[in-house]
Amino acid sequence: MIKGKKAFTYPVAIDVKDLSFSYGKTEVLSSISLQILQNQVTSFIGPSGCGKSTLLRCFNRMNELIEHAKITQGSVLINELDIYEKSIDPIELRKRIGMVFQNSNPFPKTIYQNVAYGLKIQGLKNKRKIDEIVEDSLQKAALWDEVKDRLNENAYELSGGQQQRLCIARTLAVQPEIILMDEPCSSLDPVATARVEELIFNLKQEYTIVIVTHNMQQAGRISDLTAFFYLGKLIEFDETKKIFINPKMQQTEDYISGKFG
Amino acid sequence: MKEQRSQSNRFSSGNNRMVSLEKIVFGITRILTYIILFCACFIFWDIISKGSRKLFTDDGFINWSFLSQSPQTLHVIEHNGEISKLSSDEYFKFKEELSDSAWDELNTRDEFTKVQKRLKANLVAATEVTSNELQKSLLTSFIQDEQTEATEKFNYWMELLENASSHAPDFQVSSEDIPYLVGRFILSFLDQTKLKYSLLETELSFFQALHYPKIDHLSSQSIQKIKLAYFNLLEEHLHKIWEAYIAEKKNLKENINDFLQSPSSTSFSTLESQIIAYMENPLLLKESSANLWEAITADLQWIGSEHRIEVPSKDYAYSGGGIFPAIAGTILLVGGAMLIALVLGVCCAIFLSEYGKSGKFLSLVRLSILNLAGVPSIIFGLFGMGLFVIFLDWNVSIIAGWFTLAFMVLPIVITASEESLRSIPKGFRESSLALGSTKWTMIRTSVLPYAMPGILTSAILGVARVAGETAPIMFTAAFAMRSELPWEGLEHWTDFFFQGVMALPYHIYVISKIPQNEYTVDMQYGTALVFLILVFLLASLSFIIRSRLRRKFNW
Repeated sequence: MIKGKKAFTYPVAIDVKDLSFSYGKTEVLSSISLQILQNQVTSFIGPSGCGKSTLLRCFNRMNELIEHAKITQGSVLINELDIYEKSIDPIELRKRIGMVFQNSNPFPKTIYQNVAYGLKIQGLKNKRKIDEIVEDSLQKAALWDEVKDRLNENAYELSGGQQQRLCIARTLAVQPEIILMDEPCSSLDPVATARVEELIFNLKQEYTIVIVTHNMQQAGRISDLTAFFYLGKLIEFDETKKIFINPKMQQTEDYISGKFG
Repeated sequence: MKEQRSQSNRFSSGNNRMVSLEKIVFGITRILTYIILFCACFIFWDIISKGSRKLFTDDGFINWSFLSQSPQTLHVIEHNGEISKLSSDEYFKFKEELSDSAWDELNTRDEFTKVQKRLKANLVAATEVTSNELQKSLLTSFIQDEQTEATEKFNYWMELLENASSHAPDFQVSSEDIPYLVGRFILSFLDQTKLKYSLLETELSFFQALHYPKIDHLSSQSIQKIKLAYFNLLEEHLHKIWEAYIAEKKNLKENINDFLQSPSSTSFSTLESQIIAYMENPLLLKESSANLWEAITADLQWIGSEHRIEVPSKDYAYSGGGIFPAIAGTILLVGGAMLIALVLGVCCAIFLSEYGKSGKFLSLVRLSILNLAGVPSIIFGLFGMGLFVIFLDWNVSIIAGWFTLAFMVLPIVITASEESLRSIPKGFRESSLALGSTKWTMIRTSVLPYAMPGILTSAILGVARVAGETAPIMFTAAFAMRSELPWEGLEHWTDFFFQGVMALPYHIYVISKIPQNEYTVDMQYGTALVFLILVFLLASLSFIIRSRLRRKFNW
């Protein structure tokens, strides 16, 4: 599964240090510490409400948009910079860290406009440049061949899997370094899921990917590293192979073997 | 037996009372619904059937003059045994035509030619420009006359003051009251000469006699002072009067030339009214031509009575012409008010749904907006009058109406827009933000466009309400009658906003308050029908835009 280098020898992309997070008075993450490695796929697994999505949203400060949500201790370092420092502009941060959501949610515009959206809001006006990036992004998202003749059709005429790949292309167009995926395949059928997984596997050559998933087989298939969360705590974080074959913690083993969750 | 059957069939219709109650409830609800439907149909049928009498001509075409003219008085006349209904414009034109033909007939009579010749000669002679010297002497005598008259009066008042005790019985007052009396005489004299205020400003401001209730020492000396001041101003004043008179005379001469070149019924009427106005000037008597004018007047009267035909008519106010100014005014008011309401309301809704943090303040704002929706429209009218018309001094104007109406529909617009903003999927906002947009960019590009159909729904509701309300505009924007259209006769483009307009609902109100007859009823229903159609058109315009947007942004 991991070709060549061993996973833990890759450089660190996101360094989470002793992070606690709460909504109002409810603590949803307590003292999480882990390191996301560059050009690796890291998956977060765990039962619903264990805080894995919350942690993911901490990486691009999307949690700030929810009222009363705040970090109570610890820090998140990206490129050795604390992203919760005052000098950090969340807008700039989100350009470097793309995100794909659970429900495929393209804008009700044309396919082309969807991919170009991120560029347009950044003020890019050069039509040729935009065309180039749109094509490039769609190709990276393995969607170009399917949509190249219908770029001006409404995105909602695509199938569910195509829509999700369009959302990935939209994220790629902004040229991020890290891509966060929040259960990207939860509403897709097995065939579409397989295509997205294949895409993720290819994307990791260029990007660091963090993926939240409910589907343990999926985590096993695509990720190099896996983190298991339970009730806001990080129970175990290791190479995927180890987690699935030989977990150290009892809870992990119970969850993976389907005793709960 | 019965027991046995109910045991054998567990689903037999058992309780008869419940079944009959069911039937009664069904019947009542059904009948009430039909009654309401009938009422609605009756109202529409009533308006459409009566309104189409005015909106359509007898041959079934649209009555364009009703849609394109200003309201006028309706003249019902009987001429040559025929009864015809004419608007003011038509009536005066008709009378003119009659006079014209009578003039032509008159032209054939020898007597008329003679009178016309005499009149022409007299007019030329009377308006001949008098020589400068003669003018000067006339002016001097004019001033002298005025001064003599004034001197006589002032002498009389001084005499009154000096011999107060002997004159007191003449006025049936005590001798102490004489100074008051004289003060009052002076005041009323100065009032007549229209010089009082300039006198007050200059020499006489010190003088208490002019504030006559306060007079306590009015001496002949002080009267002497007033007289002096008065005489100083008088000469200048009389010069001005004289100049104005000469100018008027020159003006008259030109008009006379018009008549002399092409005598007709119309030019005769113009000339006649001008001469009548000129004759009222008292300065005319100072001129030597005074007796010429008497002859002229007599000739004018003769010609007038010979060729003018009186057409007796019954007049019904507001029942003729059309309602175009009211249609235009309503469209303007609705358009502007909705624009303002949408801008303000959408801004407020964006703040409430996107920026505002939920808390006591926000729920207070929401509560007050909801309460605002329950305020009767007449209160908005009073508020608009107090704030815009009086305090901001916009007078009765389009812009005051716009803001009053906009404030009235704001609650509807805000509530519906907020609802529609909230219904936009969270995913659009999140993915926009995740792509690195600021909050405003997110709202502008991926929330507002998709909320537009919902916002336009609020506009549809608003249009119907704004167009229909009479109370908010009757103090702020509506005129009962203004035949000029809003875009006519503007000196500066900003004047457009600061003029009152006619409006359909207010027009219906006005023509329902005047004495009623068959013609005003026609007018009311015609206006009501046009009003209904207009509101329907305005609402369907927003409806079409909305459904287009919906088709475009479909998710």
